[in-house]
Amino acid sequence: MDAGQRLTDDNFPEHPEKATLEGKNKFLGFWLFLGGETVLFATLFGTYLGLRHMNMDGPSTEELFKLPTVFLATMLLLTSSLTSVYAVLALKQNRVRTLQKWFIITLILGLAFLGLEVYEFMEYVHEGHTFTSSAFGSAFYTLVGFHGGHVAFGCLWIITLLARNWNRGITLVNAPKYYLFALYWHFVDVVWVFIFTVVYLMGKVG
Amino acid sequence: MAERNNTETNIHRNEALQRKLAFREERKHHNVSFIMMILLTLVAFYAIWSDKVADSFAVLFILVLAVVQVFFQLYIWMHLSHKGHDFPLWGMISGILFAAITVVGIAGLIWTS
Repeated sequence: MDAGQRLTDDNFPEHPEKATLEGKNKFLGFWLFLGGETVLFATLFGTYLGLRHMNMDGPSTEELFKLPTVFLATMLLLTSSLTSVYAVLALKQNRVRTLQKWFIITLILGLAFLGLEVYEFMEYVHEGHTFTSSAFGSAFYTLVGFHGGHVAFGCLWIITLLARNWNRGITLVNAPKYYLFALYWHFVDVVWVFIFTVVYLMGKVG
Repeated sequence: MAERNNTETNIHRNEALQRKLAFREERKHHNVSFIMMILLTLVAFYAIWSDKVADSFAVLFILVLAVVQVFFQLYIWMHLSHKGHDFPLWGMISGILFAAITVVGIAGLIWTS
């Protein structure tokens, strides 16, 4: 069977994302990549933890952070993680329209999160907290901005993935791609859980 | 002959039903894990926001909550608990181990200097 052929309910494999050698390789490779990303974010977290009190004349973490905005952002990202897992559930049941619906909701939530982050950064710049204002500023924007960059990349990824495969149904070629995107999105959420805890909540207790 | 066909359809139907039930079960797990994560976030938020918890304990407490939440993500939403995930599991465990060493190492280096 041609791997690019639309799967039907009769020939649908139990794990379409791992039914081909290429799918299996992508699956393993992507998990290794996520292990590496964990270490990459760890370097940024370590730097931030070391430098977070070095704010020079700028505002401190206690003065700066507004928890309600951050809390809302957390809820948005958490919900988008749930909707992407719903999409994977639809993938396993060969329901391509349901999959598209959930991924589009995921995308909208991701974009809303990005919007909140941009708004938050703009507020901070007004209060004199910039990338070059202090070591705390550099470490903060590198860590949180790098995560925001991951969200932005994820949004572009899902847009292109959905657009390219809109009328193709689920095939053995695109099933691993959808699956990996969901993994990536969960991982970005995992990183945010730690940013919420280590940067924002711990920033309030000094 | 007709009877045999009938049994086959029944088996087919039975399998389809089994799969449907399995999906329903999985969806339930995802929903429960979502509610748990919301609750954990709320508890962590409240512990800091209310100012009723001593600071040093609160930090430790919210870090533990974050770790619990990550387990929900990895095991339920990213399916690490499913069959055939030994390699990813070890990849992530080694990643987390190196990450922990990195955080302590870098933060410690800056702290002592």
